[in-house]
Amino acid sequence: MNIKKLLKQIVIENQEWVELRYHRRNSLKLQVKNGILTDSVTTTLSGVAVRALVDGSWGFVSTSDLSLEGLRAATAEAVKAAREAGVLKENKIQGLAEIEPVQGNFNLAEEKQNQEEEPDLGRKIKLLMKADGKVRAAGEDIIASQVSYSEFKDSKIIVTAEGVEVEIYDPKCDIGVVAYGARDNQQERAHDSHGVTGSWSKLFADRKLSDFADKAVELVRKRLEAEYVTGGQYQVILDPALVGVLAHEAIGHTVEADFVESGSVVQGRIGEQVASELITLVDEGNIADAAGRVIIDDEGTRSSRTTIIEQGVLKNYLHNRESALKFEAEPGGNARAFTYRDEPLIRMTNTFILPGESDLEEMIAGVEDGFFLKGMAQGGQADSTAEFMFDVLEAYRIEEGKIGRPVKGLTLSGQAFEVLKSVDAVSSDFEFGLGRGYCGKGQAAKVDAGGPYLRCRVKIGGQQ
Amino acid sequence: MDNNQDKTLSQEDTNKKEFNGQEICQGLVADGSSAGLDNVEVYYQQLKSLEVVVEKNDLQLPKSDIYQGVGIRVFKNGSMGFASTNDLDRDSLKQLLEQAAVMAENSPPDRNNRLPDPEKLEKVPDIYDDRAENIQLGDLISRARSFMKEIKQDDRVTVDTAGFSASIVNDAIATSRGIVSQDSQSYFETQALALAREGEVVSSFDMEYQVSCFFEELDVADSGRKLRDKVLASLGAETIESFRGEILLTPFSAVMLMVQPIVFAVNSENIQNGISPWKNKTGKQVGADILTVLDDGTLPGGVGSGKFDREGLPQKRLTVIKDGYLQELFYNTYTAARAGRKSNGRAGGGAQSAPDIAPSNFIISGGQKTSEELIGEIKRGLLVNRYSGSVDPVSGNFSGVVKGGQLIERGKRVKPVREVMISGNIYQMMQNIVGLSREREDIMNYKLPYVLLEDVSITGG
Repeated sequence: MNIKKLLKQIVIENQEWVELRYHRRNSLKLQVKNGILTDSVTTTLSGVAVRALVDGSWGFVSTSDLSLEGLRAATAEAVKAAREAGVLKENKIQGLAEIEPVQGNFNLAEEKQNQEEEPDLGRKIKLLMKADGKVRAAGEDIIASQVSYSEFKDSKIIVTAEGVEVEIYDPKCDIGVVAYGARDNQQERAHDSHGVTGSWSKLFADRKLSDFADKAVELVRKRLEAEYVTGGQYQVILDPALVGVLAHEAIGHTVEADFVESGSVVQGRIGEQVASELITLVDEGNIADAAGRVIIDDEGTRSSRTTIIEQGVLKNYLHNRESALKFEAEPGGNARAFTYRDEPLIRMTNTFILPGESDLEEMIAGVEDGFFLKGMAQGGQADSTAEFMFDVLEAYRIEEGKIGRPVKGLTLSGQAFEVLKSVDAVSSDFEFGLGRGYCGKGQAAKVDAGGPYLRCRVKIGGQQ
Repeated sequence: MDNNQDKTLSQEDTNKKEFNGQEICQGLVADGSSAGLDNVEVYYQQLKSLEVVVEKNDLQLPKSDIYQGVGIRVFKNGSMGFASTNDLDRDSLKQLLEQAAVMAENSPPDRNNRLPDPEKLEKVPDIYDDRAENIQLGDLISRARSFMKEIKQDDRVTVDTAGFSASIVNDAIATSRGIVSQDSQSYFETQALALAREGEVVSSFDMEYQVSCFFEELDVADSGRKLRDKVLASLGAETIESFRGEILLTPFSAVMLMVQPIVFAVNSENIQNGISPWKNKTGKQVGADILTVLDDGTLPGGVGSGKFDREGLPQKRLTVIKDGYLQELFYNTYTAARAGRKSNGRAGGGAQSAPDIAPSNFIISGGQKTSEELIGEIKRGLLVNRYSGSVDPVSGNFSGVVKGGQLIERGKRVKPVREVMISGNIYQMMQNIVGLSREREDIMNYKLPYVLLEDVSITGG
């Protein structure tokens, strides 16, 4: 019996509400460090996740035993776990928001014609090694290099008690290039990266692999020559990558309904002005090529655009089916699980601020004393209070409306909604900018985020 | 199968397959060798875990997972390839061998690609709880209940998330160089994140974490009490002025600020690639003379202990830093070959990845005084309960926010603080360690004391 039929049979023979998700992932990871191929790894991970909702409680079991008997045992265990959980659970789940019982096949890769252009494994390795060599060949100040490529080819089948029956094919890949530089006893690191839903040819459709190598070298050199700055409150221009980080990390997580229920800063604030009128922020799964693309989520919900903030007013949270019913909202396709071993959680997909009407040059010209900030360096953090801190990859002083010398060691911090209230200009540009970004929430998820350039006020942390 | 029968960690259907890991490995090694490959290594891993998750003071999800997979590394004409799968039927395993061979064929040769020769392996005591196989989700639900009972003693406290888990790991390895072994370990964890709210005043998040190889050794009620008290103590936090002073890192904040930079710096691959700040520092001073760091994979009861590393070599006890002087780096077979020496058993990873480099049980030696006595010596400083920010392991620069911090003046806790940042260079600061507590805490496979550092830049809000 094929897997879909097996899953359907299990759903049919169970009296209780069950959802079965088969998920097979074939992945490839290639990594080159300093001219050495350190990783050439192919992995297959496949199995079935069973979720049961019984007496107001969930039970979750994952298994790699795909026989009918194995699936029956796993389902029985999930039902039993849910029942046992009911003993301790105080607030019973009242039900799930209704969804369309979607049936059909969904292929998240847009391009088909490029299959023949996809380089084979040997060619991919050669190209990655060449890019790695290019980084170190740039000069004596470049002391080390690293090039990482990974691809996932996910096949899923989701069958639920309400009649969802979908088959999904979801290929995603990403590239990252790191350059390490040294000068006068100091070392710096800089990276450039990109991720897409699609294949190698889609990944490098706009920029060649060697362009990533050049960019990483250029950035690390700027960091080597850059000076440290003194911190304080400044007017800044944030690039689409940092706008994406802000939208995802500092705002996005606070509007995930499970965090809202835990008491995040936006609890009970739907309808309030939380940002400048210039700001409209959305989460949208079904965007062709975007790294966080989702068409049908892991609960079988069709992905749609959720407007989180519209012209500065908080409009919606992000939901799974359980929270959507509780909040009387529409689930937007944000229930995602990373592998068959993970349960679906409320996650973002592609989260971004919509472009405005300002011209970037004019926005810069309007800054008397501030900074032009681009990309995130090592990482950052944000709280359910929307307080955040990110370290900046590339930064320049702006004085009297002109971009000046590069600076480094900057951190960007504040309360994200306060920052968005201070926005006085939004450019007409748009880019996704999380690169090879993954979001972590107990389990990983491939996401993207971005937006236009924003002019706003933030707290800059320096290192003097 | 009888659906009413209690499910435990040893599901009967997987139980039958449980101890054939070593056989699967040996069978694949034989297949690989007869297929003309120069060398083959097969690593098998079975992970059985049960977990109960609590969210927002309520039980959210009971979970059960069994993973079973193999990772195969093949060597041909100096090239290496790796493939792994959790699909263990005969055809898939045969395909896996072919896939690994294709990976190798497409990879450039490297004279340092090799497998190690067998060494004597010894079982580490006290890393497997015989009770583990019988633990059921119901036992973990009871744990969650005891924990929540303590939390709910005060209705200002909310648990954001808490997890109570039980895991059994069975590893096996076989190589064409003659290594054949298998090992089992159990471990139990409790981790919880909570906050307190009083009217409009909200504390920052705080954490509690416990781990042990033995189910009965965890005291979840104690964990609940400690977490409740900690978040209540951080209510009403105030901003403070900036100053330079001492900071006392809790074991938890020492993970990011001490363990991660040291583990990066002593990784031989980072040394060989020239990106470790401690290249050419072996035998030289890298920290204050009270700093001694060990890595010991033979520690009885250690969560990072085991009979062998990812390449089937013993994980001997290493002195990483002795009295402030760098002694030993972490090597696997590849980096050891590059350095013209033998591996010291620090190959890390599981069946889903080729060996990398990782610590076993990473231990910072404790000092003479208790953490309370160290606080008593602080003139003006900060207790850093949690650290949330970045640490660049290459340059050592760090900058981040202190969570659940307490201002300390003249040896006493004065008040909880908020919006305080600390920054500096962590490698330089290791010279400024002036105290280490006698008591230590186990956080994952790390055993860490409180660490007192002087002359740190503390920026108020």
